[in-house]
Amino acid sequence: MLRARTGSLLAAAAIVFAACGGSATPSPSAAPSQQASPSAAAASAAPSPSAAASAAGTGGTLVVGLDGDMVFADPSLVSDGNSLYVANQVVEGLVGLTPGTIGDVIPVLAASLPKISADGKTYTFTLRTGIKFHDGSDFNAAAVKFNYDRWKAYAKGDLQDNAYYYGAVFGGFGDASNLASVDAPDATTVVFNFKTPQSNFLVSQTLAVFGIQSPTALQKDKADTTPLKDNKYAQGQGESMVGTGPFMFKDWVTGDHVTVVKNPNYWDTAHAAQLDQITFQANLKDSTAKLQALQAGGIDLAETISPADVATAKSSGLQIVDRGQSCNTGYLGMNQSLQSASGGAATPTIYANKDVRFAVAEALNKQGYIDAFYAGAAKAPQSWLPAGTTGYKAENMPAFDVNAAKASLAKAGLSADKLKIDLYYPSNVVRPYMPDPKSLAQAIAGDLQAIGFTVALKTEDWHGGYVSHATGGNFPLFLFGWTCDWAGADNFLYTAWFGWQNGKPNLQFGWNNPQVNTLMTQALQATSPDAANALWAQVQDLAVQDMPTVPIVNSTPPGAYVSKVHGFVGAGNQTELFNSVSIQP
Amino acid sequence: MLRFIVRRVIGAIPVLFGLSIILFLFLRLLPGDPAEAILGQHATPELTAQIRTTLGLDQPLYVQYVNYLVRLLHGDFGSSFVDGKSVADTFLVRFPGTIELTIGALIFAVGLGIPLGRLAARHPNGWVDGIVTVVSLFGISIPIFVLGYTLVFVFGVQLHWLPALGQSDPRLGIPQVTHFAVIDALLTGRPNAIIDSFSHLVLPSIALGSIPLAIVTRITRASVIDVANEDYVRTARAKGLAERRVDDRHIMRNAWLPVATVIGLQVGGLLAGAVLTETVFSWNGVGSWVVSAIQNHDYIVVQSLILIFATIFLFVNLIVDISYAFLNPRIRYS
Repeated sequence: MLRARTGSLLAAAAIVFAACGGSATPSPSAAPSQQASPSAAAASAAPSPSAAASAAGTGGTLVVGLDGDMVFADPSLVSDGNSLYVANQVVEGLVGLTPGTIGDVIPVLAASLPKISADGKTYTFTLRTGIKFHDGSDFNAAAVKFNYDRWKAYAKGDLQDNAYYYGAVFGGFGDASNLASVDAPDATTVVFNFKTPQSNFLVSQTLAVFGIQSPTALQKDKADTTPLKDNKYAQGQGESMVGTGPFMFKDWVTGDHVTVVKNPNYWDTAHAAQLDQITFQANLKDSTAKLQALQAGGIDLAETISPADVATAKSSGLQIVDRGQSCNTGYLGMNQSLQSASGGAATPTIYANKDVRFAVAEALNKQGYIDAFYAGAAKAPQSWLPAGTTGYKAENMPAFDVNAAKASLAKAGLSADKLKIDLYYPSNVVRPYMPDPKSLAQAIAGDLQAIGFTVALKTEDWHGGYVSHATGGNFPLFLFGWTCDWAGADNFLYTAWFGWQNGKPNLQFGWNNPQVNTLMTQALQATSPDAANALWAQVQDLAVQDMPTVPIVNSTPPGAYVSKVHGFVGAGNQTELFNSVSIQP
Repeated sequence: MLRFIVRRVIGAIPVLFGLSIILFLFLRLLPGDPAEAILGQHATPELTAQIRTTLGLDQPLYVQYVNYLVRLLHGDFGSSFVDGKSVADTFLVRFPGTIELTIGALIFAVGLGIPLGRLAARHPNGWVDGIVTVVSLFGISIPIFVLGYTLVFVFGVQLHWLPALGQSDPRLGIPQVTHFAVIDALLTGRPNAIIDSFSHLVLPSIALGSIPLAIVTRITRASVIDVANEDYVRTARAKGLAERRVDDRHIMRNAWLPVATVIGLQVGGLLAGAVLTETVFSWNGVGSWVVSAIQNHDYIVVQSLILIFATIFLFVNLIVDISYAFLNPRIRYS
């Protein structure tokens, strides 16, 4: 119905083109991407439908609206969602995720999941054979070793600064890395040797950041040693992102779009791309503009839309992306030990009192927030982790109960002046777990007033210091959240929240519980998944006794697409692969 | 004339120098910094400090400023803190979009504004004049983003007559050579690509051109009415000249001067308006670049871009002043 009206030359032209892309004979073609390439089509002066009419599967160009621009075209240097969204189509790692899941690890470039030694320090992978990189060079064990060695050897400075994930997963670069060595004894065997066992290794390697790129291409462009301002590979100005995936990097116009085209020689023929090309629009930052672009047909799929726009999108015939398992947690942070912004001594807050923390937890009507601000695409957390995460344990979280909250607060025995509190929320930002921070903060303030607090709302710009003030312990009570890097308990419980740094509790909360830190350190070094999960469960048990923060929501941010798009599989961590997608008018 | 130009160019140097200092300081007064933009949710105090060191943000302000100035004097506008790309390179990719949009808006404003102004001036305070006045008041008072979204909603979403975003339809596979969407489309020689690129220009040009349209209309009207009451116009009519000839030769030629001034001054306003228009229409220009650079605290990019904007503005003003001499032979510069 959306495209029913005609009435201008443009619409006519669009229809001609829609017809071209739509010749749906699902037979694989040898070189569909060449046919779709602009130079071939540009050769003829007439609007040559025959040249563009691809015989390849359903073919055609899919236009995807991202939330912003890529940062680098070298996946090992990125940590932002836009770059990763593109990289996932182009590069592949040893392991990946079953589409639609957030934590189901499957072998990709590895032939099977690795053999893990009894002491948990050695992982041995057998690789698939016959795979080639997009530049035609061979994928093999030496290439895997080259990539891991390359990341480990990143020089201090902007390469290390941007290669956040390598540093975060392996504990640093060079000698500081927990990955002692990667060996390639033969062409199809790769052995990872760790200094200490690392239970998050496999799940973290599903990130596109750890995708294997062609050593030939990397060396040609000196991508390893060149600072980023002169690094053509990283800037996408040359041969970039040379991986093994179903799509190949074509071009990137800064601020505008990234184009990937079908890899005609993809190794996994059963899952080869059906589209000829995907254009990722990088400039759709405004939510209204994004929705209008979908409705007007300028884009076919929007990675995310505002939950506030879901009803409008549905009523105009758009399909809403079902993202299944959530991979984030929005929470109300309570800081027991407020850090002085000017560097003085920290001061204890009312949240150092456990009864106050429970009073806050019991006062919050989480389901009410979910209904009001998340278009229903969220769940009230049953622990500090989203339910699909490895190591998750459902806990008995305090239920919404105003009387219980009042009782807890009375038990805390705060003097009247201590009941005046500040609640911080970020401005100028939309986060997957927090689509409307101000309204959420107002609702929370209302619930806290109902049990006897007097709440003053305070805000800071997300980009203008909010994040560092929250992580630096400068806020007493604040809205924050975490989007998973990978769906492991360690990523939430240790990396995001409760891991100690420099022998001290995370400044965000000042939750001084050494037992938790010990358990987490043990879990990180556990030699088997079961042992690790048991330890993570204990951490969650301790957390629910102490209530250091209040998890508010696990959300599945909505996206939307037009009805001619088929085969799209959404995932809560937005690791979504387009090789299954086709356009069927 | 040459001396006048040289004097104006030399006069611009202290203006730009002062602006560079003010910009430099103001940007750093904003809370937050680029390290946080780079790290996002991973911004721990340790990592933030490490990136600040790499970027040189831990150095004293005057050192940072002198470094920036020295590079600038060598013609180096610097590189983005976030993506490492050189400002000059990205400018060449993104400025063409803004030029196209500005030209589109100017054509809309001038092409419609002058005839409307002349029409209104023909019978001052008549019903035609009333309608034109209402239209121009509407144009000047409606915010660009409201007009933009409304235009997209009506012509893009409801009627499907015109596209809603961007400079061209990526499905057409138009190679970006010059980054001027219209020129790139012309280079393909494909009618559908050419129509596509022009159709993308229509709505953003109207949105951005609405305020200048109103101003040009009002100034033209006032100026024409003014000149029409001059004695020499009455004399021309008394001589029995055809009304059209009076209009073109005697009224418009003299009415041009204030109109040209206003058009020149609008260019600065158009660059400012481009920031909003480019956001609403997902237009890949300098305006949307400034927005994201400010959000990321990408100081070098913002500093250099605003300096470039200022230089363009000064240059356009100079051109306007020079054009007076041609429009009105009585004006002489020395």
